[in-house]
Amino acid sequence: MADTKFGRYASCSSVNMSLPVQGLTNLECKNLQDYLQSRTPETLEKLYTHPPICLAVYRELPEIARQFIIRILFVDQPVPKAVVSSWGAQRCAKDQTEAASCLTNLNVWRVTAIPGGLAAWELSPTFKKSLRQALLGGGKPWTMTNTVEKDSKPRDISFLDSYAMSRWRCVLHYMVGTGARSSGTTDAEAISPDAVRILLHANLMKRDDRDGITITRQGFQFLLLDTRAQVWHFMLQYLDTCEERGIPLPECLSMLFQLSFSTLGRDYSSEGMSCQMLTFLQHLREFGLVFQRKRKEGRFYPTRLAVNVTNKEEGQVVRTTLTEDVHLQNSGYIVVETNYRIYAYTDSPLQVAVLGLFTELLYRFPNLVVGVLTRDSVRQALRGGITAEQIVSYLEQYAHPNMKLMESAIRSKSCLPPTVVDQIKLWEMERNRFIYTEGVVYNQFLSQNDYLTLRDYALSINVLVWQNERTRTMVVQKNGHDDVKRYWKKYSKIAG
Amino acid sequence: MDAVEQAATKEAESSIDLLVIVLDTNPSQQFVRQSPQNLTQVLESIIAFGNAHLMQKAQNQLAVISCSHHSTDFLYPVPGRQVELRQIDGQYEAFSLVEKTVKQQLGNILMNAPRLSSPCESLLAGSMTMALCYISRLQRNVAAGAKMHSRILVVTGSNECASQYMTFMNVFFTAQKLGIVVDTCALDKTLSLLQQGCDITNGQFLKVTQLDGLLQYLLWVFLPAPQMRHKLVLPPPPKVDYRASCFCHRELIDIGYVCSVCLSVFCKYSPICTTCHTIFKTPGPLPIKPKKKKKVEKQM
Repeated sequence: MADTKFGRYASCSSVNMSLPVQGLTNLECKNLQDYLQSRTPETLEKLYTHPPICLAVYRELPEIARQFIIRILFVDQPVPKAVVSSWGAQRCAKDQTEAASCLTNLNVWRVTAIPGGLAAWELSPTFKKSLRQALLGGGKPWTMTNTVEKDSKPRDISFLDSYAMSRWRCVLHYMVGTGARSSGTTDAEAISPDAVRILLHANLMKRDDRDGITITRQGFQFLLLDTRAQVWHFMLQYLDTCEERGIPLPECLSMLFQLSFSTLGRDYSSEGMSCQMLTFLQHLREFGLVFQRKRKEGRFYPTRLAVNVTNKEEGQVVRTTLTEDVHLQNSGYIVVETNYRIYAYTDSPLQVAVLGLFTELLYRFPNLVVGVLTRDSVRQALRGGITAEQIVSYLEQYAHPNMKLMESAIRSKSCLPPTVVDQIKLWEMERNRFIYTEGVVYNQFLSQNDYLTLRDYALSINVLVWQNERTRTMVVQKNGHDDVKRYWKKYSKIAG
Repeated sequence: MDAVEQAATKEAESSIDLLVIVLDTNPSQQFVRQSPQNLTQVLESIIAFGNAHLMQKAQNQLAVISCSHHSTDFLYPVPGRQVELRQIDGQYEAFSLVEKTVKQQLGNILMNAPRLSSPCESLLAGSMTMALCYISRLQRNVAAGAKMHSRILVVTGSNECASQYMTFMNVFFTAQKLGIVVDTCALDKTLSLLQQGCDITNGQFLKVTQLDGLLQYLLWVFLPAPQMRHKLVLPPPPKVDYRASCFCHRELIDIGYVCSVCLSVFCKYSPICTTCHTIFKTPGPLPIKPKKKKKVEKQM
């Protein structure tokens, strides 16, 4: 009689699967599309009454979908499916189906029947109306655009940038614990209980019995994201909790997108906003998405953090005034050499702490930190749940402007030395040599014949994971166990 | 293959698309003379189209240039500080800004234009040169690592401007070299020179048959960025008339004389090339030398 044992079985394989270590979840970053697709159709319908949301949704769509929408935006009757599919080239049919299903999932268009029995696409009337309004005008003005008298002391863009970054860094500093707790409590460094609650809710930090609140592995991954992605992720988590606070979601989202479509360096009015929206504005103020001089002042300035929320790529936004770019370029401070050395021109404890996650720091000077990427330091980061992709993108994002101007950087896509990038990826791959499959071990067969019959059966229904004829051992996938067991019983009955 | 495609899509998503619209506002165009309201309608369509372009991606940029019989002016953006503008309806702020600026600028230009006694040709080639200059200036200022794709859309109802042949050709070949796509939307006649330009730079040429549907035409054919046009079914390229215009009378010709030094084209023979001043011999009947020699020998 074969003895069955349940257990987890690891098979050695050269196939590279980027399967993370089981049991630990990685930081999940949703984009706007994923986020909206997880909402109910009723919520979506409610969201689409706001033109800013429609505009943001439109920009998030795949390129072909955008063309489809604009083509039927001014058509009043439904358009037959066959007509729509004839717009795309034959060899890009896959892109087209993707685009169509994306539009359906987002409830932007739906199938209707037209006279003659043909299936047709029809734009959601709410979406259509709002998008037309955003494009051509009409309807009510957006909430925050009431006229305000001229600001006697208008704030310029560089001031707003530095203000926004300092506020945002407060949150990050709090996370790595270099803020209020280590360098003496100052008011500017503290963050409000609300923000802490969001961090806890987002699982970026967790409450520990011993040392209060500590950063989680998702938190470390969060730190490696670029600022725009950080803000977006953080705001999504905020929106999750906003219903509990009694702030309606559609208004919040609409407000957030309005801010993202506003002009940098210009003041807007908070007059006529509801009480809940004013609370929301105060929260945004705390995270540095808007600047307001006083709590009660009816005037606020959106900052770059808010304006960039819906942009897909940070740092590539060229506004009409080209002088702003210079400022954006200054953000890089890391130099990576082919000998794996990293020079970071920074004095910020936060940036040093983040670098320390995956480098071995060698020297520290007042304005410079020197480290080296070693197998051990990178593996330590990988063990912490940080992926190679995240390390590389972090280095790329904060690369010193001089790195981007090098001959080799201009020709290739990345400004980092290819050897370093490849090596980091290899270090990650060498950890992923195992594929985990749940399985059941069958062994201690009494005769070779029994073993062979059962093995062949398992092979025939495609559930065999591994087998060894000499020791008469085989491993079957967990979901195939029942079938194999049943077969074995039947077989042994006949044979016995 | 898939990876290549994906990389291309990603690149297209992150790049900056610049669209420069060159709008012919010459009052002597056929459709304006028929009814001046037509110009308003064309303008509305152009503004809506421009905003639709800005709507595609946050990084997209727009410039509108007006081209007339006497001058070329920027309608959007205008140098200096932007006009202070507050939303009056549900339109996105940036779109209202485009609309207001373009209308205001064009109003100013039309008011200050000199009176026209007889129909005049539009300075299309000159305006396109201006567009090229604008593009190359922005290209220089693009941040390191960012990519910018530019194109020019010419919207005109003028007749063929053969007198600007040389300028046109210079514009087209410069555009081709800089990788700038030239699209043309002809409102009245088929323009063979611009057609050539579109063909050279891989752009689209479209002759609009109904002015009422202009916006739909524009959105269908010209809104997709050149990088993604292969994914859509667009009107097939028409047969391009590759005739050159002669340098002496500025007319399109099938067969002509070409200067062997500078390749200038002439419809009539002239002894001195007007472009490079080479002197040619008069093409008389060919001398029959060998025969003469033989005769001389016989006499001897």
